Amino acid sequence: MKNCITVMIAVLLLLALPLAVFAGGQGEQGEQVEQGEQAAEKDPIKLGGVWPLADITGDQGSKAAQLAVEEINANGGVLGRQLELSVIDSELKPEKGRSAIERLATVEDVDIFVGGMSSGVHLGQIPSLKKYEKVTMWTGAASSKAEEAVGPDADWYFHLHPWDYTQGQSYVDGWGDISEKYPEIKVSDWFLAYEDGAFGTGSFQASQNLYTELGEMTGESFKSAATGGGDYTAVLEHAKEYGPEVFIWAGYDADALPMLETAKAIDFAPPIYLGAPPGWPQGFGESPLSNYVMLYGMWAPSMNSVSGVSKHFYEAYTGKYDGEPQTYFAPLSYSAIYILKEGIERAGTLEKEALIEALENTEYDSPLGQTIGFSPSNIIQHQGIWGQKILQWQNGKREVIWPFEYQTAEPVYPFPGWDER
Amino acid sequence: MKTSKNLQLTIVGIAAAIGILLILWKPSVLIYGLQGAGLYAAVALPMALILGIVGIINLAHGEFMMLGAYLAYWFSTQFGIDPLLAMIPVLISMGIVGVITYKTTIHRVLGAPELNQLILTFGIAMVLSQVVNLIATSQPRKLSLDYVTASAKVGELSFGTYDFIFVAAAVLFLAGLLFFLRRTKLGKAAVAVGQNPKGARLVGINVDRTYLIIFSIALGLLGIIGTLFLTSHSIFPLVGGSYTMKSFCLVAMAGIGQLKPILWGSLALGVSESFIMSFQGYGGWADIVFFAIIVIVIISRAYKRTES
Repeated sequence: MKNCITVMIAVLLLLALPLAVFAGGQGEQGEQVEQGEQAAEKDPIKLGGVWPLADITGDQGSKAAQLAVEEINANGGVLGRQLELSVIDSELKPEKGRSAIERLATVEDVDIFVGGMSSGVHLGQIPSLKKYEKVTMWTGAASSKAEEAVGPDADWYFHLHPWDYTQGQSYVDGWGDISEKYPEIKVSDWFLAYEDGAFGTGSFQASQNLYTELGEMTGESFKSAATGGGDYTAVLEHAKEYGPEVFIWAGYDADALPMLETAKAIDFAPPIYLGAPPGWPQGFGESPLSNYVMLYGMWAPSMNSVSGVSKHFYEAYTGKYDGEPQTYFAPLSYSAIYILKEGIERAGTLEKEALIEALENTEYDSPLGQTIGFSPSNIIQHQGIWGQKILQWQNGKREVIWPFEYQTAEPVYPFPGWDER
Repeated sequence: MKTSKNLQLTIVGIAAAIGILLILWKPSVLIYGLQGAGLYAAVALPMALILGIVGIINLAHGEFMMLGAYLAYWFSTQFGIDPLLAMIPVLISMGIVGVITYKTTIHRVLGAPELNQLILTFGIAMVLSQVVNLIATSQPRKLSLDYVTASAKVGELSFGTYDFIFVAAAVLFLAGLLFFLRRTKLGKAAVAVGQNPKGARLVGINVDRTYLIIFSIALGLLGIIGTLFLTSHSIFPLVGGSYTMKSFCLVAMAGIGQLKPILWGSLALGVSESFIMSFQGYGGWADIVFFAIIVIVIISRAYKRTES
């Protein structure tokens, strides 16, 4: 019994020891804080990031942002201060995304918000962002509904990703340029297979209006594998019967390879087979079926041959992490950090008005190819990127076809028949 | 008795007539309907087995299939083997998962109210999908396999043939289960346990061990179907949820503990779905038709029971 009491006292003492050390540390920390403004100047600049970490866009986006932070800190930081990135998982849920903003603003006390993916999540976050009105550099959300929710007065809001209508227009411009340069490529008859959720239906409605400039468009919905479907035979049979010049599908990465397999099984090989999912599944390029599938996107590793910044980003990313960036959210998030770094340096302070003015003068040579600057879109004051690129899977690599200034390969046209491969 | 036989003959006659009409009008409806039905039946049969004998509605059914698919993916990529070969280690692994799950969870709620059982299996479903999400992330995975694009051409019609593997799996599952339940000592004991566990215990059958074996067999079958699923579908942590729902509906439609009607029910649903989807722009109605047929069957059965 005596022994038992001794052991218990010892355990209690052992448990209390770290607490005493922690309390002592706190005391020292408190003294340091009291040392005044000089120490505060050396505090890190806090960036608060929100990404869906279980999704590849968020996983790689947050990693690329952290990479940029480490690069900047290794070169002396910004205004003599280090950058500190706190990341919270949105889990692709609006309520989680919103509570992440609340936590970053109140508990973490960040100076700037950064990151983001998914319009639905962002719609949930916008009221909180408006409540704190901190400078925000957002990388995701294409839906113009998010733009409406942000509104015209949010001068602290900087949006990098193109809006749905601007990226739609970029596709129309792109295909117009391609058919002009390569007259053999016909793009006047379209069939859009779209997933039956908000993303696909919205894409179809927006495309019907936009693509009238190019020609006819018809389409049909399908139930995506991501939402419990995954049977593509009917929609592909109908597309085959229609015989379009361009077959485009708007679904999710889970649909990419099974849909191609079904297309091969029913012998459907349209002249252009184009996919528009937000991301591609792991190893898609390794499948021989992927060859000559066209896609929309902002970046691909092949851009290393036409952009030094892209090459630097790619080598730094692959040097630090396993595997190469699979999604343009990686270079986009990396860019967001550098745009902020340059803005803070130009402003010479974190004071909001000065920082906004400095960010308005951004001219950042990005790994995405283009130089990013901000100008007003339909509603908001600061829109960064206006369009996407047209790419093609060629021998496992995504090659840029358009814009021609970033072209890394000639388009292969038509999409070869399945028995010709 | 005679009226019942006449009714059955009439139903078979109508089904045959519809089949012939479809072959003449749009054979693809019948082909894809049959393939879809095979998948539904193969997934639903293990649920019917568990419900019929163990008496548990397993809401983690689809998640166990998902787990089987991920295991097959892992075996296949780690050891460079074809997923169809990976089926063997997956079958064994899922059997072990069945033993562990039964011993640690299911066994403890057998005598509890049904709501507790539902909440437990729902909890297992959540745990499985979240654990897989944490380990493998939510990014879909798909193996690129040449043989899944196998096709046949009849006249102008070109169609995929690989998905008939689900029809074969469903038929083999059913035949195997019927043989096991009717011809083997253990199977007969399992039927007795399913019908009257107290009586079975009185005559010396080890009820708990029977439950354990049946639960493990069902999970082993789910491992097989998960492996087949992986060959032609993308997998991700939430892929199983919709199959739990569809399997449950099929089991309810067939009647608790009934195996054979699952095949016919799946066929009716698969062909109906395929028929609706063959009209451009009406694909969205397929789910409505699926559940409408189930509701009609269940209501008509309840009405028939009330009348008798």
